[in-house]
Amino acid sequence: MHNFLLIFQQAKEEAQGISDAKTAEEYRLKYLGKKGIVAEIFSSLSNAAPEDKAAIGKGANDLRALVSLLIEEKSKTTRVVNKKEQVDISLPGTASVLGHQHILTQTIEEISQVFEKLGFVIAETSEVETEFHNFTGLNIPLEHPSRDSFDTFYLDQEDQSAKGRKLLLRSHTSPGQVRIMTEHKPPLAVIVPGRVYRPDAVDASHSFMFHQLEGFLVDEKVQFSDLKGLLTEFCRRFFGQNVKMRFRPHFFPFTEPSAEVDISAETLGIGKKKWLEILGCGMIHPRVFEAVGYPKEKYTGFAFGMGIERMAMLKHGINDIRLFYENDVRFLKQF
Amino acid sequence: MKLSLNWLKDYIDPKLKDEDLIHRLVMAGWEVEAVETVGKDTVFELEITPNRPDCLNVLGLAREISAITGRNVTFPKIKNYKDTAKKISISIEEKKDCSRYVGTLIENVTVKDAPDNIQTRLNSLGIRPISNVVDVTNFVLMETGQPLHAFDYDKIVGGKVIIRRAKTGEKIITIDGVERLLDPTVLVIADTVKPIAIAGIMGGKETEVTVATKNILLESASFDMGLIRRASRKLGLRSDSSYRFERSVDWRGVLTGANRATDLLLNLTKGQLAARRDVAYTPKGTQYSIKVTTQEVENLLGLKVPLAKIKSILTSLDFKVSGKGASLIVVPPSFRGDIKQSVDLVEEVARTIGFDHMPTSLPQIKAKNLIVDQRPAMVKKSVREALMASGVDEIVTLSMTNTKDLKRCLQQNLKVVRVFNPLTIDQELMRPSLLPSFLGVVAGNFNRGQKDLRLFEIAKKYLSEGEKEVLTILLTGSRYQDWRLSRKDQVQFCDLKGVLKNVYSAVGIEAAFSLSQEDFLDESCASHIEVKGEVVGVAGRLKATVLQNWDIKHQDVFFAEIDLQKLFKTSFEAVAFKPLVEFPAAVRDISLAVKKEASYGAIEALCRQKGGDILVDVQFIEQYLGDKIQPDQKGLVFSCLYQSHTRTLREEEVNTAHQSIIQALTNELGATLR
Repeated sequence: MHNFLLIFQQAKEEAQGISDAKTAEEYRLKYLGKKGIVAEIFSSLSNAAPEDKAAIGKGANDLRALVSLLIEEKSKTTRVVNKKEQVDISLPGTASVLGHQHILTQTIEEISQVFEKLGFVIAETSEVETEFHNFTGLNIPLEHPSRDSFDTFYLDQEDQSAKGRKLLLRSHTSPGQVRIMTEHKPPLAVIVPGRVYRPDAVDASHSFMFHQLEGFLVDEKVQFSDLKGLLTEFCRRFFGQNVKMRFRPHFFPFTEPSAEVDISAETLGIGKKKWLEILGCGMIHPRVFEAVGYPKEKYTGFAFGMGIERMAMLKHGINDIRLFYENDVRFLKQF
Repeated sequence: MKLSLNWLKDYIDPKLKDEDLIHRLVMAGWEVEAVETVGKDTVFELEITPNRPDCLNVLGLAREISAITGRNVTFPKIKNYKDTAKKISISIEEKKDCSRYVGTLIENVTVKDAPDNIQTRLNSLGIRPISNVVDVTNFVLMETGQPLHAFDYDKIVGGKVIIRRAKTGEKIITIDGVERLLDPTVLVIADTVKPIAIAGIMGGKETEVTVATKNILLESASFDMGLIRRASRKLGLRSDSSYRFERSVDWRGVLTGANRATDLLLNLTKGQLAARRDVAYTPKGTQYSIKVTTQEVENLLGLKVPLAKIKSILTSLDFKVSGKGASLIVVPPSFRGDIKQSVDLVEEVARTIGFDHMPTSLPQIKAKNLIVDQRPAMVKKSVREALMASGVDEIVTLSMTNTKDLKRCLQQNLKVVRVFNPLTIDQELMRPSLLPSFLGVVAGNFNRGQKDLRLFEIAKKYLSEGEKEVLTILLTGSRYQDWRLSRKDQVQFCDLKGVLKNVYSAVGIEAAFSLSQEDFLDESCASHIEVKGEVVGVAGRLKATVLQNWDIKHQDVFFAEIDLQKLFKTSFEAVAFKPLVEFPAAVRDISLAVKKEASYGAIEALCRQKGGDILVDVQFIEQYLGDKIQPDQKGLVFSCLYQSHTRTLREEEVNTAHQSIIQALTNELGATLR
């Protein structure tokens, strides 16, 4: 007669030795295999005394159940019953790889979205411009230095609307104001993003081509306080709720009063007590309204303009403007 | 503009700590860009905006600081010298060029070092002291903003000064020792034989004041700002004088400056005033008044400012203010040429109160009447998204190119728009195609060992009829970024076509491809892209010569350009729903061998023609080009899909249709079944 208590005890003790798939399989074979202990016990039934047969049969069945249970339990803590090879989950994934949007168009999109949610519409106007739209309509006098060929690119193409004058590459996005106001009556709330050109020698902070975003709002009774409020809201949404900013008087021929907006480097987490200029703005000059043919003193409005490269450089800590146009894929894939 | 605080304190004591003074200055529009310590002095570097030339001097800034702090300015006492009976010969050829010229002749001067107090002031601003005479001209320039020049009177031939345009080919050696070639765009001060100074910019070496000088002629003048600016740029010569002249100098200040310098010179050189002459042409509109109301101030700023406050601000800035009730009549001082209308006065008020004290509100943005066609923006956004989902990276390249690069792209025949004043020859043209820019990017990345490139850009090309927005795509290098697949597999035309298909389906249009010929594309792989029968772009493999020209080796490069304007017109048409067919489809595969030159497109078209109504689709499965087929043949496998939306098709119907397809393929194209 088998000492089942002893066999059960032994089966329990040996189960402790299971540490991996191999030892688990050895254990299983030892008890449950074709020539294993359970099979052996069953085969011994034929020679057993008739009165013992029921007990031996029950013992063998219990042993089989016990061993199965032990293996199952053990498998919960170790990967013992998995006969398939372990998958190396650390290998890189292989979905089709996504392309990267250029950080400049991303920045334009991000800024545009803020203003769109505040009720502005996006309009794009031409890069090749006339002196009227780029200068005269913006109250920039004929004698102004920015009209010099040192400061503006002219094209070898005559302006059909002004005999003897050349077409030029817009030196800012502000001609967008003149174009849109000439064609549409207030109320207007528009942003104009795009490329602009100035004959600056190229270095880490200058490029002869860069991007700007112009915005303007014209209606009856628009006030300086509205300009302050709108741009404060923009800075909060673009740079974060905690951004500290200030409006500082400045000069632009096409706005009066004019201001520049600085943000505190500290609140951006880029350096200590320092103010960084981010945009220019002001109340649209009455001469601009006059130039686009609006009735006198009927409308007021404000305008603002910012450099996209500058915003992207500040926000992402990019230190060289040339990186934007070199298009090194190591740069492109970072954003 | 440098401001010495010690010098400032000669006229006004702001009673503020430096950092508070900086803050007040910045918030009133005078940005302090740097602060430095010079000896016992502190010097601010200020950014003076171009509309405020009146503040390019210590007294101007003292006036501003007085307005923002309420402290008083003690102006230096200046004697008023009148024209003498003895005349100095001054002749102005064109009064538009020179609206005022005050000449002062001082005789028997002793030229020596200036006293310490003057030298220290100049040193603080980084101006090297030279002699009492020269230092006085610089001192008064920095104090009052009036540029001055002193000539050695005995070296002026004929004792006569003539303000005239230079003659072509005339030359002058300026006091910096450089010989300058002049022409009629340059205004000069001349004696009876030659130029003795470049007006408003720099004096001549020959008439320079030296220790041997006995008699001096002091010049205080007002020259045309545009004229001085252009001459200064042309000659590449700038000076503290030209900097002020090109931003405009106060016509009245010409005499004040002359008087202040005369005072100091008489005192320091022990010379005697021998003659004084003021030749003045009153400029137009020097005196005018502007009306401003409290309502106007409130309307523009959103802040109620009491009349008395407006009055006191403007008065502190030297404006003459009168009027009663809610409106003021304001006469700006002559040095404030920037004040022309009431908004300019509103700004003075706002600036002096400080923008940080202005209220903040959110504008009410009303329904707009600006109708912007949203389609271009939507198309570009969808195209961008489709390209990024296809693993293509966006680039941004510069809009200019040059003849050499166009030649390297075999695009020299394109009509171009030239830049009239390019910065360098590399940017002499507005690009008529983005190909040169793209190959520049490819070459740059290749140099860094980055050879798997999938790039696109949405940007303008420039044609004589105007700018045109295009989408440009370039693929080269490994076809797969999946490590399980072979890295050796290179992109092919079908990869470009696949990317294009994603682009077109993103904007809801179908494109067709037809053979084309392009100067820069390989004859064996050049295609037109057509939408609704109209050519909207090209796609293909770049010619080997083009790649050689850009030093791009061992890799094919695929390139496509699509006219976006044409997509704006046709895209996003509403999709017409097709009912889902409930009856089963019968699929029959065809595997055949056919001459290599037969295009799959022609085979598919033939199938569709012969298959009748029940053939609903033909789907490509694979192409075989291996050695188990005749060398001039290729194997093609595709399946035909038969279906009806009204009933289940009978076996025989399908067989009949399929047979007629196979027959046509065999008879008309010489294909054999495999």
